[in-house]
Amino acid sequence: MYNRKIRGPLIEGNKTVRQITKEVVAPLETTPGMWWYIAFGISSIAAAYGVYAMYITVSRGIGTWGLNNSVAWGWDIINFIWWIGIGHAGTAFSIFLLVLRQRWRTSINRSAEAMTVLAVACAALFPLIHMGRIWLAFYIIPYPNTRGPLWVNFNSPLFWDFTAITAYLLISVSFWYLGMLPDFGTIRDKTSSKIRKAVYGFFSLGWTGSSRQWIRFESLSFVFGGLAAVLVVSVHSIVATDFAAGIVPGWHSTVFPPFFVVGAIFSGFAMVMTLMVIIRKIYRLTDYITDNHMDAIARILVFISLIMAVSYLVELFIGWYSGNEYEKYAVIHNRVAGEYAPQFWGMILCNALIPQLFWFRKFRRNWVSLLLISLVINIGMWLERYNIVVTPLSKDFLPSSWVTYKPTFIDIGVFVGTIGLFATGVLLFMRYIPMMAISELKGVVNIGNKEED
Amino acid sequence: MARTFKIGIFDDEEKFISSLKRLKEQKHSVYEVFTPYPVNEVLHLLKRRTRLPTAAYFFGLFGIVATLMFLYYTSVISWPVVYGGKPFNSFPSFIVVTIVVTILTVTILSLALFSGRSKLYPGRDNTIFDGRATDDMFIIVMDTEALDEQSAEEAGEIMRTEGAIEIINKEIETVYT
Repeated sequence: MYNRKIRGPLIEGNKTVRQITKEVVAPLETTPGMWWYIAFGISSIAAAYGVYAMYITVSRGIGTWGLNNSVAWGWDIINFIWWIGIGHAGTAFSIFLLVLRQRWRTSINRSAEAMTVLAVACAALFPLIHMGRIWLAFYIIPYPNTRGPLWVNFNSPLFWDFTAITAYLLISVSFWYLGMLPDFGTIRDKTSSKIRKAVYGFFSLGWTGSSRQWIRFESLSFVFGGLAAVLVVSVHSIVATDFAAGIVPGWHSTVFPPFFVVGAIFSGFAMVMTLMVIIRKIYRLTDYITDNHMDAIARILVFISLIMAVSYLVELFIGWYSGNEYEKYAVIHNRVAGEYAPQFWGMILCNALIPQLFWFRKFRRNWVSLLLISLVINIGMWLERYNIVVTPLSKDFLPSSWVTYKPTFIDIGVFVGTIGLFATGVLLFMRYIPMMAISELKGVVNIGNKEED
Repeated sequence: MARTFKIGIFDDEEKFISSLKRLKEQKHSVYEVFTPYPVNEVLHLLKRRTRLPTAAYFFGLFGIVATLMFLYYTSVISWPVVYGGKPFNSFPSFIVVTIVVTILTVTILSLALFSGRSKLYPGRDNTIFDGRATDDMFIIVMDTEALDEQSAEEAGEIMRTEGAIEIINKEIETVYT
């Protein structure tokens, strides 16, 4: 089944089960280095800038943003889709690889799931503040109310979006927390600190590791896996429908849902790679997150980048083939050769061309190239969303309503703030939660090793 | 009242499994085993089964029916509104919400069932048979009340010969598995 000669061991260094506990729990039991405090300070400052920008948005209204009558969706929606896309990879990583029984996921799934939860939380902020009157956000919840009762529009993709994101966030958190129960139990029984024992004991919910608990745990993981796999596909399809259901040229396209789902997994995997490169470098976890792991993610990325390239070509082709002059103008003239050409070609360069470097083994095995290319992909995916959201709106049917969109200091602040919140969350995750699923690592410790052969 | 348990502690998965196999062959009643990670062979040996997936299936059915009924009630009975000439019961556009809410329903109810059946909840007493079971040891627990003195002796001997690194008798007031 799993052949060492082809792939090598999942965990290197001939670890014992005890060593795994010790090495994975070590970052939680020691004081972090100066780098952690510096990074935490910087990310907190970024988050504070975001909080300020959100305060201005809420107190003065979304007129403080760069939006105008034509471009009614700008950075807020771009950032929303960007974050929700990144938030897809954790679950995609965990779930698809769990259902496909790819056991190399064990070293990476915990961080990927943490990333999902944080990214979806960042994404959820944007529709909330875009409402303008955030204190009325609860109007979108369908409950028997005194306003009629007036129900929400169940036929609207925007409501589907609300439902999907809420469900996705709750399920991601549940799946993530479920996976952590055995690890919290391990820390509870291992630590000598009374405070840690009490805190991790509380969160372990009394985990014992009995055969009865394990069988239910495994069973529930698979149930969650099967359900969340559907959700991964449906959530971003729904986000795509927000656009595809509109009659704006460049949006009204049936290719959008698969295009969005693939793009989401692309950006999410790139973010997983960014995090993994940093984590394995700082915490010296190369025995657990091996070169083979990074190689596998890079291969997935190069494959998805080809799908992305084909999608871009299909968009251009359909723009021309539709024979619709507005469509043709929006996707060909305006993007390829118009005012927004730099963003378009930036997207092509970052998402379709540069990832092709992963065809070469030396780029898949070098941490600097892995880090840089993964960052480039995330920039490219942001540019892609910029192209989708802004270019069709800024120049639609009537030339009299054509405008150029520019973000304001507040738009930038909200985005920088969410990056700060995300980074702060990741740093707290590194400090207080085992970065790898200890019990799952123990289960694969011998796979590919000599004894197993 | 405290009960006394005979506990065999193993540092090797294979020795632990072969010991468990012999105990089962010789019809000794094993109270429970504790492992740091799920060991499939143990689940087969102890004939552990769960009906959680079946329950999840019924939660799903409930979710679908309840969501569709809710959508029908709100859109057709309670406050019908015409959206672009669509019928009040515009079923195809209800599908997305139904799928998502069904998934959410299954998740929440399955989690509640798991929590209830496994007795895992915030604030639960964290007393366990041996703390090493969540680190690197494999533990077999036998209830001495279910064994006569001779059987208990034999079970201890089997675990010892199969490679248990420690065999202890422990009194425990409240038992959690």
